[in-house]
Amino acid sequence: MSTAVKRVEIHAQRKLREILQAYFLDLDAAAHDPRRRVAWCTSVGPCEILTALGFAVYFPENHGALLGARRLSQHLIPRAVGAGYCAESCSYMTSDIGSTLADSSPLRELYGIAGPPKADVLVYSTNQCREVQDWWSWYGRRGGAPVLGVCPPAHLGEVTSAHVEFVRGQLGRLIEELEGRFGRRMDYAGLEGVVDRSSRASRLWGRVLDTARARPSPLTFFDGVIHMAPVILLRGTTAAIAYYETLLAEMDARVRDGVAAVPGERFRVYWEGMPIWPKLRELSEKFFDLSTVVAASTYCNSWAFEAYDGGDPLRWMAKTSTEVFINRDENTKEAFLEEMFVRFSLDGAIFHNARTCPNNTNSRFGMPQRLRERRGMPVLVLDGDLSDARFFSAAQTLTNIEAFVEQLEERDR
Amino acid sequence: MSDPLYVGIDVGSSATKCVILAADGTLLGRHVTPSGFDYAESADKALAQALFEAEGQREDIAYCVSTGYGRGRIALADRRVTEITCHARGAREWSPGLRNIIDIGGQDTKVIRLSEEGRMSDYRMNAKCAAGTGTFLESIALKLGLTLAELDELAVRSRGETVVNSYCTVFAGTEVIERIKDGQPREEIAMGLFRSIAARVAEMMAARDGSVGATGGVVAHCRAMVRALEEVMETEVLVPPLPQHAGAYGAALLAIESARADGS
Repeated sequence: MSTAVKRVEIHAQRKLREILQAYFLDLDAAAHDPRRRVAWCTSVGPCEILTALGFAVYFPENHGALLGARRLSQHLIPRAVGAGYCAESCSYMTSDIGSTLADSSPLRELYGIAGPPKADVLVYSTNQCREVQDWWSWYGRRGGAPVLGVCPPAHLGEVTSAHVEFVRGQLGRLIEELEGRFGRRMDYAGLEGVVDRSSRASRLWGRVLDTARARPSPLTFFDGVIHMAPVILLRGTTAAIAYYETLLAEMDARVRDGVAAVPGERFRVYWEGMPIWPKLRELSEKFFDLSTVVAASTYCNSWAFEAYDGGDPLRWMAKTSTEVFINRDENTKEAFLEEMFVRFSLDGAIFHNARTCPNNTNSRFGMPQRLRERRGMPVLVLDGDLSDARFFSAAQTLTNIEAFVEQLEERDR
Repeated sequence: MSDPLYVGIDVGSSATKCVILAADGTLLGRHVTPSGFDYAESADKALAQALFEAEGQREDIAYCVSTGYGRGRIALADRRVTEITCHARGAREWSPGLRNIIDIGGQDTKVIRLSEEGRMSDYRMNAKCAAGTGTFLESIALKLGLTLAELDELAVRSRGETVVNSYCTVFAGTEVIERIKDGQPREEIAMGLFRSIAARVAEMMAARDGSVGATGGVVAHCRAMVRALEEVMETEVLVPPLPQHAGAYGAALLAIESARADGS
């Protein structure tokens, strides 16, 4: 089916390209400047500490997503498998390791840099999964850079002060370790500034996502996964704040003018789990053709943190990074999803069962069925993967999505 | 002009089915042909044969709904609908009280749940592999040098309770070889394969209450399949008059309804 109705372009896209280009060029410059240091960090890791200590911060998960989106993963993963990494372990990790082994990165074509910057230190938080530790360790062993980490308590229901203090203590020790190894002193006033900017960008991002509560929705999940790049890569910078102010103004204007991301919006659905990066365009077009907007998602909301109140910056970091959805127990996750379904007035929910990402898959312990029964709402579980296209069947998935929309139509009759 | 004809074409991965109905739902013609490499060509062939049986002409076609994996390739179609909705519609027409429909096709298997009002309330498809599908049986029959019909003939003679435990086609092939090596009767091994599919299907069923119907090519051609489903699910499994045509029949019924809705 052809897309007869045109998609309305998001104008901020141009600005996005500019700030990402500047970010990667600066990273490359840092990697080649003997006076500067590069730190690798997980996407919901303690990047504010690294920025405040003067590191240029690189996020390898973004590279994993890029390798998936450009359909390179399936060619690179076998290199990591050959090095002893299971083909069913995190495909961000295996495609990224494969990319290094093959000396092949899309950063060359996209930003004109040779590839990911060499790490002086690798910092992780296991608030999302343990695989990041193994991933960073491969690079640590290979390049000799220290691998440092924070391990918050996992699968939490309520996040207590004791949990937060425990993580805060780890962050304090991380700072001491970095200061000792690299001969730097933390400027805590500077850290407060970074955390404040991080929080402001994150709040603005949350408000951008919230505009999708409008009918018709001004943006989709498929827009969100592109425009979320600054809230990860540029967290703590004024560039991220400026970008989200621009994007929010555009989305607010769309809501005011009734501009729909999916013209003729008939149904509104939720996306739970990781994006299927290699098939993002096909899926986006399928939903567009079906006049169905994927209006909200767990994934995009994972970087919409609570506001920083000006108190202890380490406490804010400890609390927000421990409270993230992926680090919570099944009941808390389920309650969050139910609240989102109501908040965004959704007709149905899609759960992505990502083969290599059990930590960010929530369809394996009956949650879709429980939510369907409680909300009386159709749910669909799609089998796929975040980066490895070999775990994806286009015909089955697209038929599943069409049938899901037919099911929504049946309910509407 | 002759009476209007309503056409449903189900282009599946293995076979293409065509059903032609009159405006009052009377079955006028049907045909099934291998899908092969060219879906448009196989659909054309199935339609020509069904039209011949219906004693109709192409210009008599008032509305056409295509379904199945190749539904997008049918230029004649006025509307495209998934095989899930079409199988549900077709089976429901034949057996109005059905609550669960199992469609075992060549490429995939679907379990469809209908509400008391007969609407599709839930469905599941098998994951991306041959487990629980006709391809599973065809692959292993080929390995044993049998046709699917011969495998079925063997299976229905089984008196035992053998189950092939592997869902994976490759591992099931290995398991079959092990069983042959152990001297198990071929009838038992054959029936074990059907039970393996039935076990996979049973897993996909969210609810077990209400009547169960089965459609699709495997059900149409293999009596052992229905027997295995009944054994594993411990319930009677209803089979519509033309199980392989259920999707095309549902598509043709939707063609009548769509034409009415459009006022054509």
